[in-house]
Amino acid sequence: MGGVHLRVLLIDTDANRANEVQIGLELAGFQVVAVSSDTVDLVGRVRESRADIIVCDLDDPSRDALESMRVLNRDEPRPVVVFASRGDADQIEAALEAGVAAYVVEGLAPARVRPVLEVAIRRFRAFQALRAERDEARATLAERTVIERAKGILMQRRRLSEADAYRLMRRWSMDRGLKMVQLAEEILIDK
Amino acid sequence: MNHPTLSTSRPFRIGFVPLTDAAPLIVADALGLFARHGVMVTLSPEAGWAALRDKLAFGSLDAAQLLGPLAIALAVGAGGLRRRLTVTAGLARNGNTVVLSPALAAAIGGADMPLDAHRLAEAIHARTEEGLPPPTLAVVFPFSSHNYLLRHWLAAGGLDPDHDVRLVVVPPPRVARALADGAIEGFCAGEPWGSHAVANGAGRFALATGDIWPDHPEKVLAFGEGIAAREEDAVIAITAAVIEAALWLDDPANLPAAARLLQDRAFPELPLSTISAALEGRVAAAPGQASRSLAAPMRFATATCPQRAEAAAWLAAMRRWGHAAADEAEALAPWRSDLWERAAARVSPRPAMGRAIPSPLLSLPLESDA
Repeated sequence: MGGVHLRVLLIDTDANRANEVQIGLELAGFQVVAVSSDTVDLVGRVRESRADIIVCDLDDPSRDALESMRVLNRDEPRPVVVFASRGDADQIEAALEAGVAAYVVEGLAPARVRPVLEVAIRRFRAFQALRAERDEARATLAERTVIERAKGILMQRRRLSEADAYRLMRRWSMDRGLKMVQLAEEILIDK
Repeated sequence: MNHPTLSTSRPFRIGFVPLTDAAPLIVADALGLFARHGVMVTLSPEAGWAALRDKLAFGSLDAAQLLGPLAIALAVGAGGLRRRLTVTAGLARNGNTVVLSPALAAAIGGADMPLDAHRLAEAIHARTEEGLPPPTLAVVFPFSSHNYLLRHWLAAGGLDPDHDVRLVVVPPPRVARALADGAIEGFCAGEPWGSHAVANGAGRFALATGDIWPDHPEKVLAFGEGIAAREEDAVIAITAAVIEAALWLDDPANLPAAARLLQDRAFPELPLSTISAALEGRVAAAPGQASRSLAAPMRFATATCPQRAEAAAWLAAMRRWGHAAADEAEALAPWRSDLWERAAARVSPRPAMGRAIPSPLLSLPLESDA
């Protein structure tokens, strides 16, 4: 990460504070690619910005939407560094150990911000790799999606309740010796 | 009530998000119930759930109004952060509404309330055939009762929540504006934000979450990790004050005073009529229309006992949608009805346990059974 200019998406509802933080980040050698405040389509903005990392205030309401990007696993999650203006050293250490999203830094002192952001990115990547392995091992997300979609098609086509559609799929899969997901794939192809 | 001031009477910081179901905390504070039970409390309004969670996790809040599924997510580390909180009380049952934009409501056409998700599915399929994108609907947090109840309702109507609609997160105080701006076409959020969107013309009422799971548990009172073990007496005293506030809130004679307190402390920007309607569980389908009573309105007194059997429904939903795959004992360990029992023993009359209708979230076969 050394020589490369990391792209930072800064989110702050307070324009004055955002300006100060932007100057601090640029002094620390970051490329601040977007300053977005009070954006409703935050997910779209994050995607467009091609940011490596997102920086935002602990109390910013945008954080709930950022959280959904991480949890729903669908919209290319990014590491998020959260900064708090108050907070003691113990809290900051605890936040760093948590290792995923909530890195709480006291203010954004330029000397301190660069290592924190770099650690945040490294830990985030490690966490994502772990999660990818886990997801692959289970592959449940993809299978679930296929089964849910096939069930929806059956419900619509045959005017069945959700439970009845599921039971029907289950019976077919047993009758034909197929896994649920294989049967669901057939239903989707037939569509 | 004869409870001496506790020797450990440091002030407890309790966080809340401006929502009708923060009422037990706001009322306990305003009526001096915390002080009567010998504890000092400072309430702290928070902008959203992520901020509130982090402050609770890192110790800048001692306790908070919390989403039940978020307590589970923290117990199992589903969001990356792992904390064993202590849930000593439920704050409310029911109390969220699903509101759609006037255009989407018009596309569905005249439908009975509560709206059947099949009707929404027909409107969405018609749009898809015209090559239009799926509608964007907002919930208030990924690990929320709103997300899981809305997903259950959509799926029961044959819609895949991850494909046939686009689910996004918008904090409760912003949903009405996001709907008015056209950034979203509907939302599921805690009251009074749905009533507010209907009253100002931005939205049309579709259903309440109590129509999906009648008397479902809603927010909880949660303490930060280790606090219940270290300061058990204060935790029980705070819980007792919240139970008393819940009993006070269920007396209809107190509704006007409760609405004024909520306006003062949580929603200075909203008219009293909107807050009162949210507390009473009355909704109008559209602005200017006569309001009707919800089948399962917000309840306080019967919500206070935190029950693992009910919270298990959130865990089932989290597994269903791939948000958590955890051991039930670990996930539900924060729910401590034993601490509630000890708090309830200090309150007269002793509150009822309360019970939800068995959750439909538990009645579906899970894919993992296949």
